[in-house]
Amino acid sequence: MEFLSRTQVIVAFAAVGLAFYVLDLVRRRRLSEEYSLLWVIATVTIAVLGFSTPLLRFITRVLGMLFESSTVFALGLAFATAMLLHLSIKTSRLSHENQVLARELALLRNALEGPPPPAASAPDGEAM
Amino acid sequence: MAGAERRRSAARGRRPRAAASGAPRRASGRRAARALVVIPALDEQESLPRILEETRRDAPDYDLLVIDDGSRDRTSQVARAHGVPVVRHPFNLGVGAALQTGFRWALEHGYSIAIQLDADGQHEPRFLDGLTEPLERGDCDVTIGSRYLSASGYRAPFFRRAGMMLFSLVVRMALKQRITDTTSGFRAYGRAVMEVCQHDFPKDFPDAPLLIALARRGFRLLEVPVQMRERQAGTSFYTLSKSLYYPYKNLLASLMAWIQRAR
Repeated sequence: MEFLSRTQVIVAFAAVGLAFYVLDLVRRRRLSEEYSLLWVIATVTIAVLGFSTPLLRFITRVLGMLFESSTVFALGLAFATAMLLHLSIKTSRLSHENQVLARELALLRNALEGPPPPAASAPDGEAM
Repeated sequence: MAGAERRRSAARGRRPRAAASGAPRRASGRRAARALVVIPALDEQESLPRILEETRRDAPDYDLLVIDDGSRDRTSQVARAHGVPVVRHPFNLGVGAALQTGFRWALEHGYSIAIQLDADGQHEPRFLDGLTEPLERGDCDVTIGSRYLSASGYRAPFFRRAGMMLFSLVVRMALKQRITDTTSGFRAYGRAVMEVCQHDFPKDFPDAPLLIALARRGFRLLEVPVQMRERQAGTSFYTLSKSLYYPYKNLLASLMAWIQRAR
């Protein structure tokens, strides 16, 4: 098996390690399957490219990159962007749902409390 | 079905109380539609009693609701002590959300008009009839109380005026209709608008983006002349840092409202 540099070896093994860690997080239910998908795809892609130098060279040529390392960085950046966008969408939805829940709770509490007691003394003589 | 049942019984439950209050009816005749004044309040224990009493005195035909938007003072207790129902948000959600809560409450209690009235005393309850009459006649779906439609004597500081002109222009381009007072929060909403807006409403500052969003959904807007006072207590929303951030955010929200899909 041919490696271009020591860095490639480190990155390849790190990617494998991360992939296993992600799977373990899913197994222990600390990470939902939905989020794990992007992570698994990213780590497996990096691991495959790390261990298969001909494939890395081929992709680098196809994308018009000058160095193999740039290809790995570009893929990493694409992944980070996709993950951040995904999280922003999730956060927007969560904050909307949170707001709806808070309003619902407020209305329920109001219904539970019932109407207010009539004002004891109306200062302008406008008795309730 | 259960919802409708509850709504009816809730409406029944409230009527005798309103009758027992002995509130004088308008000389011009009884209201055609039930109207609710929604007062969003954030830490307004100082100014709230005055505005509640003033509304009871100058506009006795209207029922009141205070939306306590996560106040840390005694806003809720003050309102309840005045015999006004309160819906209390567990934390601060913003004026837009407070209005949405008000709309939902109004619909569930059988009201056909909701009017937004600021707790800080800027809005004068004596203009409530002017806001609701066009709605009752069916002339429009939303009325906006404008400071600039007549010579009201109100003159905003220069930067504020420049900002208003900018938003007026944006709204005019989006709506093909001239709105003189885009930042006015003194508005009345008809039932159809409330039904849509209880689910879908601009989040933070419901002014220019709201007007554009409403017009895009086919609602008719109408401005009526009102006068406004300087705020009487509490602090204004428009602090310095917000006055820099607000136009940017509002402009973006206006453009988004232009192209956004209904939820």
